[in-house]
Amino acid sequence: MIKLDHVFKNFGPQKNAVNDLSLEVADGETLVLLGTSGCGKTTTLRMINRLLEPDSGHIYVNGKEIRQLAPETLRRTIGYVLQNTGLFPHYTVSENIAIVPSLLQWDKATIQQRVITLMDKLRLSPAEYANAWPQQLSGGQQQRVGLARALAADPPVMLMDEPFGALDPLTRISVRREFKALDELSNRTIILVTHDVEEAFELGSRICLMNEGTIQQLGTPLELLRRPANEFVAAFLAPQRLQLELKALKIKDLWAWLPHQHSPGYTTTLSADQTCWEAMEAVISQPILVQYAQEQKILDSSGLMQAIAAWKN
Amino acid sequence: METKETLFDFLQQQSGKLLEQTLTHTGLTFISVLLAVAIGVPAGIFISRRKKLSGLVLGFAGVMQTIPSIALLGFMIPLLGIGPKPAIVALFLYALLPIIRNTYTGIQGVDATVIEAATGMGMSRRQLLYKVQLPLAMPVILAGVRTATVINVGVATLAAYIAAGGLGEFIFGGIALNNTNMMLAGAIPAALLAILFDWLLSLLQHINIRKTRKMVYLLPLIFLVLSSFYLLPDTYRGKMLAGFTPEFMGRKDGYLGLRSVYGLHMRTLVISDMIMYKAAYEKKLDVISGSSTDGRVKAFDLVVLEDDKHIFPPYYAAPILRNATLTKYPALAPALNRLAGRINDSIMTELNYRVDYLKQNPETVARDFLRSQHLLQPAGSGTEGTIRIGSKIFGDGYILASIYKMLIEGYTNYAAVTKTGLGGTKIVFDALTNDQIDLYPEYTGTGLLVLLETPQHITDSIIGDKQKVYNYVSQAFKKEFDIVWLTPIGFNNTYALMMRKTDAEKWHINNISALTDFVNKRQ
Ligand SMILES: Nc1ncnc2c1ncn2[C@@H]1O[C@H](COP(=O)(O)OP(=O)(O)O)[C@@H](O)[C@H]1O
Ligand SMILES: [Mg+2]
Repeated sequence: MIKLDHVFKNFGPQKNAVNDLSLEVADGETLVLLGTSGCGKTTTLRMINRLLEPDSGHIYVNGKEIRQLAPETLRRTIGYVLQNTGLFPHYTVSENIAIVPSLLQWDKATIQQRVITLMDKLRLSPAEYANAWPQQLSGGQQQRVGLARALAADPPVMLMDEPFGALDPLTRISVRREFKALDELSNRTIILVTHDVEEAFELGSRICLMNEGTIQQLGTPLELLRRPANEFVAAFLAPQRLQLELKALKIKDLWAWLPHQHSPGYTTTLSADQTCWEAMEAVISQPILVQYAQEQKILDSSGLMQAIAAWKN
Repeated sequence: METKETLFDFLQQQSGKLLEQTLTHTGLTFISVLLAVAIGVPAGIFISRRKKLSGLVLGFAGVMQTIPSIALLGFMIPLLGIGPKPAIVALFLYALLPIIRNTYTGIQGVDATVIEAATGMGMSRRQLLYKVQLPLAMPVILAGVRTATVINVGVATLAAYIAAGGLGEFIFGGIALNNTNMMLAGAIPAALLAILFDWLLSLLQHINIRKTRKMVYLLPLIFLVLSSFYLLPDTYRGKMLAGFTPEFMGRKDGYLGLRSVYGLHMRTLVISDMIMYKAAYEKKLDVISGSSTDGRVKAFDLVVLEDDKHIFPPYYAAPILRNATLTKYPALAPALNRLAGRINDSIMTELNYRVDYLKQNPETVARDFLRSQHLLQPAGSGTEGTIRIGSKIFGDGYILASIYKMLIEGYTNYAAVTKTGLGGTKIVFDALTNDQIDLYPEYTGTGLLVLLETPQHITDSIIGDKQKVYNYVSQAFKKEFDIVWLTPIGFNNTYALMMRKTDAEKWHINNISALTDFVNKRQ
């Protein structure tokens, strides 16, 4: 869906902001660009919607070299979410959301319908907020309007630059959770930029860890943890290693090591696709039932810990 | 005793004129601001895209604004003549800076993230400009328009100097005539206009930004309507056009007298005497009110029309001094009187012409004149005291002061110094009575009307006879101020109507009555 081929970009004579970057993002995948600030994440993102032109190399979206399209045409097919939202202060919430569909000259009724659908999905009551000004909303609400605006024209590709970066920690967690659950996002090709490792592990199908304009490692969260490509990657993940493992590891990954117990009467269930982190939170109060491939197991904290220890060896 | 006229009386009498001037004033202001918006906003947008040019453009507009307004109006005359055209252009140049600068800073001030989002969503540059940059910069741009409008209401008063009308006609007429009511009748409405427009525009500026989107289209319309006021008053139109100074317009021995005594009614403009002569020469005006010995009468080939019904009092020049000075310096009066009767109107005009138009040094002109009259003597010892000679800032003053200095030095043993440029009548006369100068040349007419404030009935009875005026003035000065008038120098620097010599000859007009007949026949 998106392909970068030996892309270079520098802003001055010193070092390259982006240095020989090649990567591919598959259809429907969420790729996270991770790295400390100044490592070239934003620059990479801005080259994809041609807010910046690379010095050399090629970028393809949907199989087409992006320079073949007029920048405006390209951008209208790519949703763009910014850290500080960039909502138009002189447009109401619904007008903000309607910007790209209006640029694409959708008819009014369709736009209106789409705006209401999105506001509902993002838990922004249209009755209450459609005619509100962005300044009247909380930070979390503004960020959701920004997301709705990017999604409005149903773009196949989304670029998100630290979308949760400006939110306070609590709001960030709740907005992130909604984000994961949002069906509008589930089949989209997304490149998401963050400097927050935890966020990367929570949201990314794959993570591209960058440093000084180059890729250090590109792989699934588990691959980064288990087989770090170099010292940098290992060191980058070390401080939160345990937590990241719990977030990266799914119950199904541990299935073989979970003890066989079965007793009727447990009704609360967990999906095997959920992470160990979520399982830990759930089993604190009581053991729970998990079903995976026709098989049911009862999960409690001691069983979970043993399975994790066994998996590690 | 006449009862004193109040401001209210004045406003009532002149309400038609006041309305006309106010409309003209409003029109001048808004036409120029409208033009400045039409040019300044695009210029501001342009330099917000080409930042390298911003210094240059803002610098140019800044320089325009530092040129003193009256000078800027002056520069316009050779290019555009007199009347509304140069006034509008000058006002336009004044309005330019606040509008360009505010458009530029307004656009610069738009949140960069908003621009980034707009571009990232696929807006073209045009859409970005109209949907994002201009609406968000609008409050700042409107603040610029507001500043420009208020500046222009003020500067537009000066338009009266170049015959473009407006409330300046009353203001400058009032100043020149020392008529407070007239001055206030111009100044108060001008101030009210400034406050009113400022207030209206501030309402616009603070209106909900949502509505300003529609305002963008409405505003030019409102301005256009206000601008059209300028065209309203200009309905009367004759063949001959007169340009009179603000002072002349309001004086009994001026336009009022021309109307009541001669019955002369013609289309008139108010104009500054600095540009009046040239405007007549360039055929922008047909008749002007001038001062008969001004050098420019000769320079621009004009003729003075005879005042056959004597509405202009004589203005014979003579040196005046305190009685005490004459006693202290007995040799002074004979030396000064050597000039008596030596300079007639045409000689004074010639001397003024050399100074005003040929830009020769007044001292050189004075020396040449004395030599030609065989009055130039080598300077005496200069040991018996110093005589301080004063003069007003205009025309004759400088030359006469230089002549007197040379006469005193040549024919006495006193030293002499000149203190020229002492402003108007009031200042130089106060300097004389307070012993800061010893003598200066004054005009009989000025002594009669300004310094003595002679009652109307006396003025009327003597005004036609120059000798009677001189006698009355010298007696009254002696009695009232203990100041002595020496013998007149000879020339009469009076108010006069003038026209181009070629026209006067073609139509056989040699006096004001003939002009009146001519005008009445043609209209
Ligand atoms: N417009 C620009 N002009 C000059 N330098 C820039 C510009 N944008 C980014 N840079 C530099 O390029 C490098 C990468 O920046 P960026 O992509 O914004 O980093 P990140 O988003 O990973 O924090 C940084 O060193 C930054 O200073
Ligand atoms: Mg960044």
